[in-house]
Amino acid sequence: MWIVEYRELIKILTISDLKVKYQSSVLGFAWSLLNPLLMMLVLYLVFSNIFKATQDSFALYLLIGIVSWRFMANGTTSAMTSIVGKSSLVTKIYIPRQILVLSSVLSSFISSILEFLVLVPLLLILGAGISPYILLFPVIHIIYFMMVYGISLALAALYVYYRDLSQIWDLLMQMGFFLSPIVYPLSTVPDQYLGYYMLNPVTALIQMYRSTLLYHSLPSASEAILALSASAAMMILGSLLFKKLERRFAEEI
Amino acid sequence: MLRELGLKGREHDLNGNAIVVDGVSKTFKIPHERKITVFEHLAGLVKGNAYTYEQFDALQDLSFSVKHGETFGVIGPNGCGKSTLLKVVAGVLYPDKGQIRLNGKVAPFLELGVGFQPELSAKDNVYLYGAIMGLTRKEIDRRYEEIMEFSELKRFESMKLRNFSSGMYVRLAFATAIQTDPDIMLVDEVLSVGDEAFQKKCGEKIDEIRRAGKTIMLVSHAMGTVGALCSRCLLMKQGRIMALGGTEEVLAEYTRITNEVSGNAAEKAEQ
Repeated sequence: MWIVEYRELIKILTISDLKVKYQSSVLGFAWSLLNPLLMMLVLYLVFSNIFKATQDSFALYLLIGIVSWRFMANGTTSAMTSIVGKSSLVTKIYIPRQILVLSSVLSSFISSILEFLVLVPLLLILGAGISPYILLFPVIHIIYFMMVYGISLALAALYVYYRDLSQIWDLLMQMGFFLSPIVYPLSTVPDQYLGYYMLNPVTALIQMYRSTLLYHSLPSASEAILALSASAAMMILGSLLFKKLERRFAEEI
Repeated sequence: MLRELGLKGREHDLNGNAIVVDGVSKTFKIPHERKITVFEHLAGLVKGNAYTYEQFDALQDLSFSVKHGETFGVIGPNGCGKSTLLKVVAGVLYPDKGQIRLNGKVAPFLELGVGFQPELSAKDNVYLYGAIMGLTRKEIDRRYEEIMEFSELKRFESMKLRNFSSGMYVRLAFATAIQTDPDIMLVDEVLSVGDEAFQKKCGEKIDEIRRAGKTIMLVSHAMGTVGALCSRCLLMKQGRIMALGGTEEVLAEYTRITNEVSGNAAEKAEQ
């Protein structure tokens, strides 16, 4: 199995990716946290004052939504260029090429965990409290990781052939932000659209994070099944597509 | 390296062969207009000139095998497909037809220092390069001293790689790569490394590996090197096998062809 055999390379690549992201400093990490917090603040002001949102603990509600969405948006966007960005490791030597995608997604995964960790004191400060259900977080996050990894495999492979995919994906991610229940609750989505709306695989996951972290309850079984099957589907489809396209990477890159 | 192909080979044992190339063909499609965006593909569909391309048959139905412990040379004029062949065996390129079977751990030396990062120290780069070659941290720990000793760069281990001269760079790369303890080495004219003294050292090291019973597949222009190291040779021309056999005969054949070509050219010039 390539994951075991090349674990050292995966580790080194993941760490160097994180180092670049945070410029090897604590302050670099603080900067990266500022982004979701400011985003939350702006959205909070706009939606609580202008649109009169009436959610309980709306700030935390928003923040959980934003932080969970960021893993999808940042994870897939940076993993997309992971093959093209390390072309010498594709054309000059043989390594299982999934390693490049995996280490990029792992680095985003670690960033995302850190962002969620900062959420914990905020849960206490803003009065939501913490319940044992928080122990489900690792499980949900691993399901999410599989989804992001599956999508990233497909994107990274396609990007070798279609270099404007990054622009297209940026656009899709922007749309996705507003087509996920981040700034508004799922209950406001009209019933006749709900079927289509739930096709967005991140929706169920955001709901699950909110159940466990904010509402101190078990995620609903239907959401869990939806998230799990979407993740499995992404992993399988992504891997198959990657396997097929990988054959001509060295020529096309 | 644990490629699917390699695993398969291990199971079947390949009758004492380390590398079996079975009916391998590789064709490159070179499009007249290279399309690298979704937009260009869509535009091409509308215009109707969607996919026209030149075909270049780099390898045509090659079959041969390399025995365990053999040093096998691949020679031929420029553009005959020898580097493509090495890349297919290394797993970088996939063959369009046919199969490659390998028995053992492979280390490709297509280019030295792949993945080296100029901003990291020499030490970090040794660990990175070792990891790229599929070593675990412990394995690199064990070999680190030897790598530094062989490359004669112990004093510079904490220096950033970007301050290295190109000679130091390849020395470090070669010293690390050679320590990966492969069963099969694929070498593409990288023997000309560093100054003469270091070249001699590399030559000795490769000789040592050869005598230890490892398999080496060597692509080279240097007839002297091939003649001295290889027991068997493959001569390629335009993606096909021209000659395959003992080094002396194949080298003689190559010289004959080269002379023929230059002889023809001379004749033409006279006319």
